Amino acid sequence: MVGLSTGEKHFIHGGIAQDLRSDGRKRLHFRPISVETGVIPQANGSARVRLGATDVIVSIKAELGKPNSFQPDKGKVAIFIDCSPTAAPEFEGRGGEELSSELSVALERCFLGGKTGTGAGIDLSSLIVVEGKVCWDLYIDGLVISSDGNLLDALAAAIKVALSNTGIPKVNVDLGASPDDQPEVDVSDEEFLQFDTSGVPVVVTLTKVGRHYIVDATLEEESQMSSAVSVSVNRHGHICGLTKRGGAGLDPSVILDMISVAKHVSQNLISVLDSEIAAAEANADE
Amino acid sequence: MRDLQLSLNQTQRVRLQAALQQLQDLASQAAGSSSVTIADTIPVNNEDGILKGHGTSELDGQVVATLCGVVERVNKLVYVRALRARYKPEVGDIIVGRVIEIAPKRWRLEINFSQDAVLMLSSMNLPDGIQRRRTAVDELNMRTIFEENDVVCAEVRGFQHDGSLHLQARSQKYGKLERGQLLTVPAYLVKRRKQHFHHLEQYCVDLILGCNGFIWVGEHLETGENNMLEDREKRPETSKSNMIHEEQEQTFTPLEVRQHICRIANAVRLLAALGFILTVESIVDTAEASASSNIEIKDMLGPEFYVQTVEREVQRRILLSRKRV
Repeated sequence: MVGLSTGEKHFIHGGIAQDLRSDGRKRLHFRPISVETGVIPQANGSARVRLGATDVIVSIKAELGKPNSFQPDKGKVAIFIDCSPTAAPEFEGRGGEELSSELSVALERCFLGGKTGTGAGIDLSSLIVVEGKVCWDLYIDGLVISSDGNLLDALAAAIKVALSNTGIPKVNVDLGASPDDQPEVDVSDEEFLQFDTSGVPVVVTLTKVGRHYIVDATLEEESQMSSAVSVSVNRHGHICGLTKRGGAGLDPSVILDMISVAKHVSQNLISVLDSEIAAAEANADE
Repeated sequence: MRDLQLSLNQTQRVRLQAALQQLQDLASQAAGSSSVTIADTIPVNNEDGILKGHGTSELDGQVVATLCGVVERVNKLVYVRALRARYKPEVGDIIVGRVIEIAPKRWRLEINFSQDAVLMLSSMNLPDGIQRRRTAVDELNMRTIFEENDVVCAEVRGFQHDGSLHLQARSQKYGKLERGQLLTVPAYLVKRRKQHFHHLEQYCVDLILGCNGFIWVGEHLETGENNMLEDREKRPETSKSNMIHEEQEQTFTPLEVRQHICRIANAVRLLAALGFILTVESIVDTAEASASSNIEIKDMLGPEFYVQTVEREVQRRILLSRKRV
């Protein structure tokens, strides 16, 4: 963890109070974001997102599986995040597990909705091939390569970009004679269906430092936080999920205030991401 | 400073490439035969008894370089001074470090070297300013001078017999650094000069270019005789209550000075990301250029100013090379 002297801590607190942070940003400014798509050729979709010095890779693998008996009309999505020891020496061995599972849970909450899959940012019913028998399982794997704060937002952005980069193979289904038979599925390796990502949310984390809250905190600023609220917002400005970290409590009115700010900030972030995705796709085509 | 990742548009990319090409051309004009890359042969004119030093190896009876760098010769010794290397302290270097441990009679400092440096209680001026033996009481009060994680400026005193690196801080200008931010850049970007402490009067900012690549940008504080003493008296107040603490934070650094600090810090970040040598002139020049072309502080790390800075560096080097001719 970063150690800061008292003087530096005061400087960070003062900067946030004066609305001028150490790198010249205001409280609600993001760092420049850069996006690369198709970084892992074996995956169905992948993306690398860099937010300042924070660097994450997300890959998406689609496999055929059997839908859950409780929800025969929905596919399955699993999110797993790994923190590489290259990001920080603390992540070596099992050290990163706590953070990894915290991030995975937060992302699942933001993207997958409730246990039944209602209200999910990812449309699970689009993953079904044969109802009750065959569906697509999406494995979303994230890797944190370098950590300079705000991992959750970066990972969420990377998942969004990777999903827009994902191609799910077209399948021809041969239903057996009797309804009990397992249908035969022929996976095409040439034709791919683009995934619909218009409903996929972005995550905006508001970190409370002192009396004020900021977006896109660096590692140094995060070390000074009292609590952080991550809000996932989709294109229509609807809240898809909410996570709070940090020990200190928050006044309900502050949370409402944070949500409305997050909603406002997220619309900018979505438009920035959209243009970055378009640029990245254009680059990949070249 | 880790690399900047920029999304340049088409024209910016072309401009950047052209400027970098010019820089390379200028560099190759200036560089003599003394700079080598890996596997380059180092001419030794078949002298007898040549001593092969660091970064060299013998291959088929010839001396070849195993590092990228500059060939240095000291009498019979031939070695390569690497261009990119970890910081190696030399006696008299002014460095900025962070306290990581308080041990009996000494502080241990992280200074970006392969080992931690040691600052002895006896090799620093006490707050009362009187020359005397350090007593057990002084030893107990070491935390009132420097705590863990404090950023400290000191001078390299030398290597002890056991190989450990010792520092000293025997002047008012050395000591704890507060009200500012610490930046980390590759150490080879900071060259040893006469002056490493800079008080930028027009900005009211202190800039310390540590030889170890730690750079301090902070509010200017007068180095008076009683500075440290005051500090000690102030300490209990700050931790008295949260309310006072918050009030203080509001009044801590004036907004105008903070803007200057951030602008200069971003100039350092930008130059370090570009791999240009950091001198006080280049930093101030970059900060002024950004201010005069009305670029916001946070946009200094953006693509447009990045390209502009490279282009300005090209102009500067062209002027320099003309003067030399």
